[in-house]
Amino acid sequence: MSILYDEGQEAIARESRRVLEARVSKEAMLSLLESVGRYDEGFWATAKEQGWTALSLPEAYGGLDLGLVELGLIAHQAGRSLSGAPFLTAGFGVAKAIALYGSDDQKAAWLAGLASGETIGAVAFAEGANALPARPALTLAAGGLEGRVSGVAGGLAAEVALVFAQGPDGPVLAIADLAEAERSAIESFDNSRVYADLVFAGTQAERLLAGEAAREAALHILALQAVITAHEQTGGAEALMEIARDYAVTRKAFGQPIGAFQSIKHRIAELYALVELARANCIHAASREGKDDFITAAAAARISATEAYDTAARDCVQIHGGIGVTWELGLHLHTRRARSLAIEQGPLFFWEDVLVESLRGEAA
Amino acid sequence: MSDLEAFRARAAAWLEAMAPLYGKAAGEGLSEAEDLALARRYQKAKFDAGYAGINWPGEFGGQGLGHLEKVVFDTEEMKHGFPGFYFGISLGMPIPVLMQFGQDKAWVKERVLKALQGEEIWCQLFSEPSGGSDLAGLRTRAEPDGNGWKINGQKLWTSWAQYSDYGVIVVRTDPNVPKHKGLTYFWVDMKAPGVTVRPIKLVGGDSHVNEVFFDDVKISDDQRMSPVGGGFAVAIATLMIERYVATDSAGFGPHLDLFVDLAKDTDLNGRPAIEDARIRQQIARNYAMRSALQSITARAMAMMQAGMTPGPEGSLNKLVAVRSRQKLSELAIDLKGNNGFHFNPHASQKEDWAASWINAPTGRIAGGSDETLLNTIAEKILGLPQDHRPDKGIPFNQIPA
Repeated sequence: MSILYDEGQEAIARESRRVLEARVSKEAMLSLLESVGRYDEGFWATAKEQGWTALSLPEAYGGLDLGLVELGLIAHQAGRSLSGAPFLTAGFGVAKAIALYGSDDQKAAWLAGLASGETIGAVAFAEGANALPARPALTLAAGGLEGRVSGVAGGLAAEVALVFAQGPDGPVLAIADLAEAERSAIESFDNSRVYADLVFAGTQAERLLAGEAAREAALHILALQAVITAHEQTGGAEALMEIARDYAVTRKAFGQPIGAFQSIKHRIAELYALVELARANCIHAASREGKDDFITAAAAARISATEAYDTAARDCVQIHGGIGVTWELGLHLHTRRARSLAIEQGPLFFWEDVLVESLRGEAA
Repeated sequence: MSDLEAFRARAAAWLEAMAPLYGKAAGEGLSEAEDLALARRYQKAKFDAGYAGINWPGEFGGQGLGHLEKVVFDTEEMKHGFPGFYFGISLGMPIPVLMQFGQDKAWVKERVLKALQGEEIWCQLFSEPSGGSDLAGLRTRAEPDGNGWKINGQKLWTSWAQYSDYGVIVVRTDPNVPKHKGLTYFWVDMKAPGVTVRPIKLVGGDSHVNEVFFDDVKISDDQRMSPVGGGFAVAIATLMIERYVATDSAGFGPHLDLFVDLAKDTDLNGRPAIEDARIRQQIARNYAMRSALQSITARAMAMMQAGMTPGPEGSLNKLVAVRSRQKLSELAIDLKGNNGFHFNPHASQKEDWAASWINAPTGRIAGGSDETLLNTIAEKILGLPQDHRPDKGIPFNQIPA
């Protein structure tokens, strides 16, 4: 069963939209594209000031005890305005893992900082297209964490990482202090995500879980993050659909607004369909946290949101014609973000497999 | 348990009890005449049990409940394959319009009660050879004739006209004004002299639609249900009656579980097809689409329950569900390979992939084509301009043919 947003949730959506629209500038984001190692500090300051970093964490550690629904609403607005730094999602993922699987000492050490946003977190599970590799690239032994993990979103700025590593008896989920890790920045098509390769050489790391439980927990954290990212993708797709619509009613060709041509209006109506399907799956998934079908719902949200954002990015530019491919208009900010978000939390190959495996079990 | 859930439980139990008498198994192997007779008995049973006219006023034999109860009942009913479709149009549109616009209340009540009990069937005579999506372009005309009217012309795609006792009809009464303004709405007796009904066999082999010819069919003026020239507004009111009906995220084709089962049981390159990435991707994408439609429906229901108006995204179901059903049905036949040639024209579209596939185009055309729905979304929801319409504002008889 799906939910209707209550008044408090509506207010979160409204207020976050107001704040972000007032503070985000396209020029600033365009300039971020051209330098490696800088992220949207304004957004992060806003996220901390507004309490978004604390929103869905436990009250005992400085959190506000709200849930995935509320954080999803913020992410949706961040997606609309292109403003997200990657830490909002990953910081939540790291904190949630510690809150769910960590010891009291670990909670005391990390959660308050993550909730206030003073500590930046990253999640480093993936190996190429394998969001949760059968054999992780990192190893965790008595001497600490060893190995190299590539393309970590926010990896250049994070102070702590949640890692999936090979332990003595199967996989482990662990917390690594990044103070001693070696980082190399990646020059990317979406530089403000501050992607980095991380190299560990005997880095201190604390185990949270081991064995199958570690894999299951890692998938759960990924699914939580996937639902947040799906909201962000849906917000981006919604913004593009509206931009395309606004352009189609004002731009004229052959003596009429181009939106009167079915090749244009049907394309935009199809975008509306993709956006609404993605939104519906996001709302549903956010409301299923803690339920048996959460992973399935998260996978469905991830699939439809990725499809919506990628398609909207293609079609919105196409509807604009030549002006759509100029640097100055900035539609490419969305084109780039659609791809970076499609990869962060794992590409669709991964989520399609997760979904089918779960259906395969159910239908047996 | 909420009142609504209690209603659902009661309805589900009743339907369960009726399934052996009227459900899928009872309908197997029947001729169409026998099937119609079974459907009439089932409709009568529904009426007697208080499940007919659920959201209609008590004065017309209805139950006086809400729209929500109606949708809940229909959703439960869909699970058993009852033979209800003969009355779908009749009770869905003409009868509600009759209750709203019919002049002689005593006569109207008699008709409504007979229709609710499955004794009489009404059809809706809208589409024509020259106008389907362009409803207002219709050419069937009514001319003044004494104190009444005389109808000449042809209707097309009229569902269940061959079994109908009455019909509602939109005709042109004035060709000298722009097309929307010269239409008038009447009811007609389908057994009147001059009415000829010819069933049309469709690609799937069945003949639920018809062409209906009118040759000097005389009607009286009290059969008029709109002002003269005001028929288009009543026709649109007809189409708006049930904006939220029971939907099916499978597009009235097979459930995705059936596809998953097929993929598990089918060998492709020496392993189960469900391990093939091409099949997995289609299953995953279809699941995501269908779960989104279910979420939209669930939210719409929750909004109605809270006394709110559901959002316009409810209009996506037909567009998205039916065309994906069409492709998934093709894929299912692909999976069967040369075991997939079998065809049973009487198989259920909800269970048989070939029946689903061959009938899918009808679902993308009837009741608003994909293209019409996209135009509606673009214009009514997104505020995009209308298409270029060369016939706009021009008297009907001066529109270039």
